[in-house]
Amino acid sequence: MASAGIKTVILLSFVLAVGFLLVILSCALWANWLPLLVALTFVLAPLPNAVFARCGGDDFSAEYDGSGPVDLGRFITASVVVTGFALPLVLAHSEVITKGACAMSIAGGALVYGTIMAYSQTFKEGDSEFD
Amino acid sequence: MALPRSHYDPRRVCINPFPGISLGKHRRTIGIYLAGGLFALANWTFLDAAVLSAHAHPPYTEPQIPPPVHVTFVDWLPGICSLLGMIVINLIDKDRVQGHEDFGDARAVWRARLFLFIGFALMAGGLAGSVTVLVLKYILHHYTEQYTYYGYANVSQNVALMLSAIVLWISQSVSTEYEYTLSI
Repeated sequence: MASAGIKTVILLSFVLAVGFLLVILSCALWANWLPLLVALTFVLAPLPNAVFARCGGDDFSAEYDGSGPVDLGRFITASVVVTGFALPLVLAHSEVITKGACAMSIAGGALVYGTIMAYSQTFKEGDSEFD
Repeated sequence: MALPRSHYDPRRVCINPFPGISLGKHRRTIGIYLAGGLFALANWTFLDAAVLSAHAHPPYTEPQIPPPVHVTFVDWLPGICSLLGMIVINLIDKDRVQGHEDFGDARAVWRARLFLFIGFALMAGGLAGSVTVLVLKYILHHYTEQYTYYGYANVSQNVALMLSAIVLWISQSVSTEYEYTLSI
């Protein structure tokens, strides 16, 4: 488990680095630093879920996943993720950034977000086994 | 299917027959994520039109003609109406509207239904207003497709906002108590 955890961490950090590389390249190649907002959006995306997750319920109401704050966190998370995909498309549509920068920033942002998701998913599983 | 028939009251104006959607155990979560995504999609559709309008340049063949129309505050109004309606709808306690009059008094149910009506009226007004703006501001002036896109984006923003509110409402009112009564 420990070695697999270390391998997972190394792999995820490489993917994260590639994601940030893509986003920064999409900014630097065209000397237009607006796509950096995409990376910021995707980094902020899991934050509402993390903040509101504790507001859910205790162990006695674990199967009743229906409290307002948790729903609000999920709503905001979904909005922010869609924002991360929509922002470069909107910028590319109005020719503020080029299509290449749009594609690269979307791919990089998705890699960053996927890394964060996979990381939290992997280590949440590991924790809950010992609860 | 969705509601027990005993709760049906023929005096009510707004009957909300919740459809029984079975997406398994995570249907509430999926519905809320879907509603959030639709919400962001709606607003970005309109913001796309607004950004496009702000960066609009004259056609290259005749560079002296400025763009004939821009996105102004009138275009923002239907979206604001829909947004207010969505907030009003989601602030209402769902159990009050369904008319469980055994807790709370009957006046609370009446007031909750009134505010629900106001919320839905705001959303419908936003949708109707967006269609009005599309017809009066863009179609009747015979603009080219580049400019009527602003109006169509406005309409699709309001449609998606309404869909988002509906999905959010349905997914939040599919309660686990219903499963509980079924399983017993």
